[in-house]
Amino acid sequence: MPRQIVAFGGGGFSMESGNPLLDDYVLGLCSSERPRVCFLPSASGDADHYVVRFYRAFPAERCEPSHVSLFRREQGPEDLRAHLLSQDLIYVGGGSVVSLLGVWRAHGIDAILREAWEEGVVLCGLSAGSLCWFADAVSGFHGTPRAVEGLGLLPFSNCVHYEPGAERGHAYRRLLREGLRPGYAAEDGAALHFVGEELSRVVASRPAARGYRLDAGGDKVTETRLATTYLGAG
Amino acid sequence: MIGRILTLGGHDFSSRPPDRAVCELMLRLASEHAGDRPRICIVPTASGDTSEQIARFYASFGERACEPSDLSLFRLGRRPMALRDHLLAQDLIYVGGGSMVNLLAVWEAHELGAILSLAWRQGIVLAGQSAGAMCWFEAGITKSSGKPAAEAGLGLLSGSLCVHYNNDPERRAAYLDAVADGMPDGYGLDDYAGLLWEGPGPPTAVTARRGARAYRVISSATGVAESPLPARFLPAPAPAALREDIAEFRRITSMRKRAGWLG
Repeated sequence: MPRQIVAFGGGGFSMESGNPLLDDYVLGLCSSERPRVCFLPSASGDADHYVVRFYRAFPAERCEPSHVSLFRREQGPEDLRAHLLSQDLIYVGGGSVVSLLGVWRAHGIDAILREAWEEGVVLCGLSAGSLCWFADAVSGFHGTPRAVEGLGLLPFSNCVHYEPGAERGHAYRRLLREGLRPGYAAEDGAALHFVGEELSRVVASRPAARGYRLDAGGDKVTETRLATTYLGAG
Repeated sequence: MIGRILTLGGHDFSSRPPDRAVCELMLRLASEHAGDRPRICIVPTASGDTSEQIARFYASFGERACEPSDLSLFRLGRRPMALRDHLLAQDLIYVGGGSMVNLLAVWEAHELGAILSLAWRQGIVLAGQSAGAMCWFEAGITKSSGKPAAEAGLGLLSGSLCVHYNNDPERRAAYLDAVADGMPDGYGLDDYAGLLWEGPGPPTAVTARRGARAYRVISSATGVAESPLPARFLPAPAPAALREDIAEFRRITSMRKRAGWLG
């Protein structure tokens, strides 16, 4: 099984009510007919309403859904490692990437997710749930965008909710000029699909959404707009 | 001068007398730091910043003579805050219950432990219940991973603490075992019992409900001994008086309604 990560710039059931294209895409990567899908809402503080929305988007008719709440461990699976390694897809929600990584480390989830990835469980997520897979995450959640050290499964930097000319884009370029490792950015509705550590393709739930590659050479940052496949009809 | 710390075995923010008594004590501690309009901030990290915990806090303090606020680390995306500036401007910082493991892990990720310790050294009152009480000690007994287990705290207070002592026998048994096995000696707190730390000496035990007790828990060659501490009873105040500005607002609203002017 190849190692796969699908990093949404933003989108899926959390942000695109009525547009299931990105969620359908990640489900489609699972080889099983009724994939086991586990939602990790840690970045939201395990907000109840978010868990409810996940179960609406991933109903039992389509898959075998579950979630792990690290704030209510007494209610969930006792053996987190066994539960996570038995999934076809692990879907990480948005919120605070700093809090997410803190809670994961405390429960040993960081090591389990690496193992799951190596064993072929598809990993995906949006926003904080997208940033977390990279070595460097450009997060604007806590005010002025800054770089946060992620899990490092993908040896790149990453920026979500990207808009080339907006504040986050400028911040990402500044960080690259200051020595941040090169990486990828995705607009809302675009998702970066990595197989192993290589970008395999960029897909989108909105016709105009794009992914970007950003490189820095000295003082110069080059931004390459990547060919993106729109997943909708037409 | 270091601040006072109020550690509670368990309570709720409700209108029931023991809960009102606990809030009254916090309000008094905050007022003694600040004067008549103290700033009181809840840090609900241990719950994952649940709306419920935050709403119950505001329901209790919103109509009292204070300026309540919340610092929700999971919600900074919608409402960015300067963590250090906000916390150091408080008179009392209250930490809610939940997962002690997650509380400390998220604080570490945001470097909040250092800010809280600075706040304490600047004389700001710290308070909390359950996970929010154990976090100030060297160690506590948490059920963050399901079963009771020892967990290290920030260590502003020396010794250990076990909460919900009266109604969680599994946790109490794990605590007695841990102390026998070398966890520092400490205290057991029933729900509605608390310890008020006012200086380097031993704390004062307080209780907001008859029968709720604080215990000193000490290990010796013959085993672990639990001795109840004499506690000061906290009387419940009358239900919160309406804040003057809120009362004024309601008077004006009802006058407008009577005048048929609903804009």
